[in-house]
Amino acid sequence: MKRILAMLRKEAIEISRDPYSLGIALILPLIILMLFGYALNFDLKSVQIAVWDMDNSAESREYVSSFVTSGYFTVIAEVDSYQEIYSLMDRDKADTALVIPPDFSTNLVKGLPVGVQTIVDGSFPPTAKVAINYTKAINEMFSAKRINHILNLRGMPELKEAVTAELQVWANPSLESKNFIVPGLFGVILMAFPPLLSVLAVVKEKERGSIQQVMVSPIKPYEFILGKLLPYSVIAFVEVLLILVVGILWFHIPVKGSITLFLGLSVIYVLCTVGIGLLASTVTNSQVVAMLLALVITVMPSMLFSGFVYPIFNMPQLFQYYTYLFPARFYIAISRGILLQGNGIEYLWPDILWLVSYTAAVIILAAVRFKKKVA
Amino acid sequence: MENYAISTQGLTKRFKKLTAVDGVDIRVKKGEIFGLVGPDGAGKTTTIQMLCGIMTPSAGSANVAGVDIIKAPDALGGRIGYMSEGFSLYGSLSIGENIDFFSDLYQVGKAERLERKEKLLKFSRLTKFVNRYAERLSGGMKKKLALSCTLMYSPEILFMDEPTTGVDPVSRREFWNIIHDFISEGVTVFVCTPYMDEAERCDRVALMYQGHILKCDTPQHLKSSLNNNLLAVRTNALRQTVEIFRQNSNYGQVEIFGEELHLTVENAAKEKKQVLSFLQTKGIQVYDIREIIPSLEDIFVTSINEESKDSDGLNNQRKEIGTYNYTLSINDTNTNSVEVKDLSKRFGDFIAVNNVSFKVRKGEIFGFLGPNGSGKSTTIKMLCGLHKPTSGNAYVTGYNIADRAREVKSRIGYMSQKFSLYNDLTAEENIDFYAGIYGLTGAVLKERKSWVLEMAGLTGQGNVITSDLSGGWKQRLALGCSILHQPEILFLDEPTSGVDPIARRQFWDLIYQLSDQGVTVFVTTHYMDEAEHCHRIAIIYYGNMIALGSPAQLKSEHFAGDISEVGTAQFSMEDLFISLIEAEDLKESRSYL
Repeated sequence: MKRILAMLRKEAIEISRDPYSLGIALILPLIILMLFGYALNFDLKSVQIAVWDMDNSAESREYVSSFVTSGYFTVIAEVDSYQEIYSLMDRDKADTALVIPPDFSTNLVKGLPVGVQTIVDGSFPPTAKVAINYTKAINEMFSAKRINHILNLRGMPELKEAVTAELQVWANPSLESKNFIVPGLFGVILMAFPPLLSVLAVVKEKERGSIQQVMVSPIKPYEFILGKLLPYSVIAFVEVLLILVVGILWFHIPVKGSITLFLGLSVIYVLCTVGIGLLASTVTNSQVVAMLLALVITVMPSMLFSGFVYPIFNMPQLFQYYTYLFPARFYIAISRGILLQGNGIEYLWPDILWLVSYTAAVIILAAVRFKKKVA
Repeated sequence: MENYAISTQGLTKRFKKLTAVDGVDIRVKKGEIFGLVGPDGAGKTTTIQMLCGIMTPSAGSANVAGVDIIKAPDALGGRIGYMSEGFSLYGSLSIGENIDFFSDLYQVGKAERLERKEKLLKFSRLTKFVNRYAERLSGGMKKKLALSCTLMYSPEILFMDEPTTGVDPVSRREFWNIIHDFISEGVTVFVCTPYMDEAERCDRVALMYQGHILKCDTPQHLKSSLNNNLLAVRTNALRQTVEIFRQNSNYGQVEIFGEELHLTVENAAKEKKQVLSFLQTKGIQVYDIREIIPSLEDIFVTSINEESKDSDGLNNQRKEIGTYNYTLSINDTNTNSVEVKDLSKRFGDFIAVNNVSFKVRKGEIFGFLGPNGSGKSTTIKMLCGLHKPTSGNAYVTGYNIADRAREVKSRIGYMSQKFSLYNDLTAEENIDFYAGIYGLTGAVLKERKSWVLEMAGLTGQGNVITSDLSGGWKQRLALGCSILHQPEILFLDEPTSGVDPIARRQFWDLIYQLSDQGVTVFVTTHYMDEAEHCHRIAIIYYGNMIALGSPAQLKSEHFAGDISEVGTAQFSMEDLFISLIEAEDLKESRSYL
């Protein structure tokens, strides 16, 4: 126990005398939070459309304006050939193009069905899907308006929708993707920096040779591992507080559930991520390898296989099992569950159980693998 | 078994390709100071790490402090002390904090801790620096601190791996004084070192080479075991004399040491006259010939030669190494290549170099000695055009360094103690890289490359990865890379640290060849046996030059009254160095730290 204290004291002094690394450890996560919080945005604000109006009538102009007034579309060009449409799409100027046939108004007045060719750039499917849905909705509204107009002319009552969907969105009523991204980002950021710090903290000693002095002393492997685990977990927890405060005050993410529960589980998560760094340090003796290793086993999978952006239930079954290798998966589920959905232990316990067992396994494995040997 | 602090049987460590330690049997008695001596790569560090229980042997067994290191390495914890190679403390912790950390690890009691800490700090003269960060200490202070950390608890055995590498002679002597004064009766000391003068301090010495123990005995016994004697000869044409001896198969090993050569003979008393007349028939004028006591290094070289007589490798090494002839001729060896007058350098209030003046002839090998931080490297940096002098003048190859630094830089070569080679490149790629820096291309590059490879003894092996080369090859390759552009002046920074004695002798042969062609060679070093190779040396202390002259001249001047032939020979360069610095301290009434 006294030896753990000796380790803690030494680590604390070393960390405090290296303000540069400490600064990086605390400021870089905030920068990443800012960058990703803004850059990873799936909200489609405005679809750029090109219009080829062959009819050029009052009706066709009314049709186009119904797109503009919806607020989701901006007409960026009026064109008169397919060439122009393709060229605009190739240059990513237009997402969608409307080709209005020359008999648009004549058929419309006659009450005949009219087809408007709608070309959608499908190179980025999520945007394309949204654009298609918007287009369909606007077409339906325009049709209903035309039908009611004709019914009006004939002195008949307007048609009413038989069923209306009374929408109520849970968890993220404004449907803003930042509310989904930022709590997930917590899991990624805490997987990126703390393991890097802890793996370097050990490998640096290996490269410098000071670890040999410690190895010949009566210290026990678990004492050494705890001596490294605790101080870096404290730093990582300060990181948790920082990004949480920025998330709430700057990104206005909702906090529906218990903040105490969130912080408590965050402590377990940082013990886990710092522990992963220590486990990685038992594999290598070089700082460069350690950094690459940390990158490959932590940052990349926690972005791809944690449900941070790509939903796990969409993955092939095999990959769904694979995601269990990466604890970011459990923490991101917990983070969104508590902050966004206001869930408590009663719903989150499977993820909590996974996270706790994972953390315990990592730390025990690191202590067992840490040998007081140079070779 | 009980009488031995350490005993090993067939201790072996194999790495993938290489057997680093091969069946080592050592027995170290309790209370003994035991030295394991050998060049880099001999297997010293591997041995010491196995004995400390931090490396698992591949075969064999070892018993350390009554503990079987294979079955119960953890039982060693707290019973041994280990000072690993290099600086292995925490640089951002102060002296006091480092000591406290290790005391905590070993759970030294409070009262005992206070007492020991105070005493150790006093002994190592570190008390006033107790709050200074370890990374800001000089090399000597760092080593004394590491020793103090180890001595805070009372180990039964103290293991030290190259404890005084990079430490000046004064600090080294202090370091050993702490050990002698501080360790209690019965504590065993096990020390690894590449330096023979350090080995002289041990009760018993084991010579290690390529994983084997060649010999193990007291230094006195080892020396008297040498069947041959040594003659020191000074003549009017030293290199010519060496060639004469080497061409004549009646004579054994011959090496140049500065102004004299050392010749191995069977019986010095008998052969002295014979050698004298032999040289006279060859037209050589002999100034001085006398018998000298062989050093441990002589023993080492002889042992290695005996060991490898059957295998053809080492004995043939000398023949493989080519000569190095400049295509550029440096005329006029009577002029000075460096002239320094009243040169000073200040950093703020701190005077790093104070009014230093000296002249160096073309072709001279000039040694630059001084404790850590005495102003050696500042002076060298000024001569290389890297620092501007605060006052005074220096002319290098005729150019004033203050305003013609560019011209100076193209005429000098520099080889650092780290050898500055890229370990993951092949020998040839390293040469190509340095040739590129100096703008050598085409036929010139091709010619110089084969020239360097031949000189390094690497002809036909240009595609060997540098990290696979042993110390001696690396050193010669580094030398070759630093003289690709045929500089007129060559700066060598501790050029032979960690290289085995045979390679070291070959290296000096090359240096003498260069010097014969008019290349001026500057050597900075802490190692006094290196200083013995120089024509003249300057000792710098606190920015002042306190001595200038040839090694023999300085010795006889300083140890006046003891000018008999054998008398001066008894004093080593180290004695001279320490005595000069102590005299200086007395004059200035201060003490060196």
